[in-house]
Amino acid sequence: MRYVVGYSANARGHDAVNLAVSLARGRGASLDLVLVVPEVQQFGAAHAPKAGFENLLNEQARQWLDEALALVPADVPAQAHIRTGDSDAQALIEAAEELGADILVIGATSTGLFKRFTIGSVASALLHASTVPVALAPHGYYRQEALTRISCGLGTRSGAEKLLDFAIGMAANRAVPLRVVSLLALDGGDPAAAGAAREYAEKTVAAAAPVSPSGVQLAARTDVVVAQGRSIEEAVDGLNWEDGEVLVIGSSRLAQGRSIFLGSTANRILRALPVPMLVVPSGYELKHQNHPTSNDTSGEAPQ
Amino acid sequence: MSTEHVTAKASHDTHAGLSAKGLKAGSVGLIGAVVIGVSCIAPAYTLTAALGPTVAEVGVQLPAIFLVGFIPMLLVAFGYRELNNAMPDAGTSFTWASRAFGPWIGWMGGWGLIAATIIVLSNLAAVAVDFFYLMLAQLFGNPELADLTLNLPLNIATTLVFIALACWISYRGMETTKGVQYVLVAFQLFVLGWFAVAAFSHVANGTAFDATAITPEWFNPFAVESFSAFAAGVSLSIFIYWGWDVTLTMNEETRNPEKTPGRAATLTVLVIVIIYMTVALATLAYAGVGQEGLGAGNPENQGSIFAVLAGPVMGPFAILMSLSILSSSAASLQSTFVSPARTLLAMGHYKALPTQFGRISPTFKSPSYATIAAAVAAAGFYVITRTTSENALWDTITALGMMICFYYGITALACVWFFRSEAFSGTRAFFFKFLAPLLGGVILLVMFVKTAYDSMDPAYGSGSSVGGIGLVFVLGMGVILLGVVLMLVMAKVRPEFFKGKVLPTGY
Repeated sequence: MRYVVGYSANARGHDAVNLAVSLARGRGASLDLVLVVPEVQQFGAAHAPKAGFENLLNEQARQWLDEALALVPADVPAQAHIRTGDSDAQALIEAAEELGADILVIGATSTGLFKRFTIGSVASALLHASTVPVALAPHGYYRQEALTRISCGLGTRSGAEKLLDFAIGMAANRAVPLRVVSLLALDGGDPAAAGAAREYAEKTVAAAAPVSPSGVQLAARTDVVVAQGRSIEEAVDGLNWEDGEVLVIGSSRLAQGRSIFLGSTANRILRALPVPMLVVPSGYELKHQNHPTSNDTSGEAPQ
Repeated sequence: MSTEHVTAKASHDTHAGLSAKGLKAGSVGLIGAVVIGVSCIAPAYTLTAALGPTVAEVGVQLPAIFLVGFIPMLLVAFGYRELNNAMPDAGTSFTWASRAFGPWIGWMGGWGLIAATIIVLSNLAAVAVDFFYLMLAQLFGNPELADLTLNLPLNIATTLVFIALACWISYRGMETTKGVQYVLVAFQLFVLGWFAVAAFSHVANGTAFDATAITPEWFNPFAVESFSAFAAGVSLSIFIYWGWDVTLTMNEETRNPEKTPGRAATLTVLVIVIIYMTVALATLAYAGVGQEGLGAGNPENQGSIFAVLAGPVMGPFAILMSLSILSSSAASLQSTFVSPARTLLAMGHYKALPTQFGRISPTFKSPSYATIAAAVAAAGFYVITRTTSENALWDTITALGMMICFYYGITALACVWFFRSEAFSGTRAFFFKFLAPLLGGVILLVMFVKTAYDSMDPAYGSGSSVGGIGLVFVLGMGVILLGVVLMLVMAKVRPEFFKGKVLPTGY
């Protein structure tokens, strides 16, 4: 298991490292801290040769990465990488693909005053293009202990079962409870649909759980709740959140191929959410489902 | 998988995992390199800023001076290339002069480079503002809008906004991209060509302002009245080629490092010389060098010649000239910002300036403190010049020419001194590491001293003066003196660099 962390030497980067450590601790994963330095262009500077500035940039990047590695506790293996690229998001996706990462972890916030999540430009670009699940650390995320609960936001959209499989896998692998949050009432906007939503979610959990042996015990520890409220923000506030919880959510049907595209619902949830969110590109878990009986322990999906 | 909670062995693999920088070697071809060269020179902006002041010095011998001015630039650029190959560094002149002559001269070399780029920043912003209002006037058919630039508080405010914008873009680490540069360069060359053709057809049709017949005498540098005028002209024409050296120093970026930089430099200078000659001849033939009306010698027209001539010459299409100069000076403003910022960063890094200058923004990965410092300095310089000078653009360009001569001169001699042990090791080394930079450096420093001496005359440049001394001298020497004072303060506060511990001389 490898998690790639998009690091920058500011509060956002610290949030990302902390979240990556919590994710890794329950799973024995190793971290790859990636710092992207911009490509120094020859076309953009008069009277200033690029030679040398790159050296200073890289020297600074190395220093930043040393500081970043110091943030990672000793029980979590970590490596540092410098990548050069014009687009941070593009460079991170390339690094994640090249290193065979299972999750890409980033700090998502810009400096929003009231919302936990005001998506920064890099995070926003990643959510539109990443082919691996992206974990977004909220502003000021300080926890480094292993996760205590996985929440899975479930709608009616196609691929919901796949997403649930992914979340079940995550919870089972980490031996933590799973909570299924039905967003059905929100999708339709009709509070009367709550009963139907619960029924649907329970049925889906029951159907998905037997995929793995540990899933059977998990089913007993799975809780199903229905998110209700006049607005998504209100619904998210209405749920109780544990400190060590993450919300797993799928990308919308708008996604092209295996890329993440954050639907409007997900985007609004993100803004109100007090815990980290893990966005899974649609169809992502397929690659693991091709070998349901293999002993390949990589990947978050159930084995 | 719940049994998988193994305590992984800590393996802090600090540097082993550092991947190579992924340098895209060979991403620039011949045309790309020429575009970079031409965009660094920014011919449309350069001509509008320098043509008037040069005519004021040398009259109709303008073409001759433009040609002669290239020689010291060429000689110095050879030395620049040798130094760049031996010690590629963000500090350029600062680092090289420190390695050759020690910390004190090195510091002043760096200061000269920073001062020159800061001065040109304020001039670029001011020219952009002039053409911004001119373009508004042309766009709305209301000439009064163009006069808004003469309103001092409004002019200063707009210029500061332009500087702040360019600083912000630079701080965010955004650079002008290849595509934009191609378009800007093509547009500049097209509009300058149009201007020349239109001017010549006015001359042919007898509708020129002051039709002047071109004579071979215009190409004779020895016909310039005095050595003072000659020196002033040469130091101005150093400015018009400033930026050309970039083409020579591109090595690893080009697809064919053996041949491309040399060819690109040659091609760039051909393009530039042709466009300069054509436009200079067209301007002289159309407007003459008279001091009245549209004449190129009219002090009123010195700050920005195309602002005055484009309308009569190009008619309704003069807006293209405004657009071309506005876009090229705005792009140059942004790309030039990078230069003092990187030099300041390098000086901060080598402990020659307070540590803050060496700071790189963690979010944007650009020299944060240095970029803002450069903007504040450029803004300050502009406000001072604008409020004390009768013709700020004219005087800044003249002071700028001096400043370029100063730091290029130091850089060229640094090359000679640094490579002194290998100067006679072969023909190539003798020429490129010794003779060319020696000649170039001596010429430039002579021009510097002569121009500095002459500029003490209160009538020099636009004729502004402070306490009976010419403003150009006060500006130029003031900046250098300020550098000396700051250097002494730095030596007191952070003596490490000045003891030669950070950048030792020699290899």
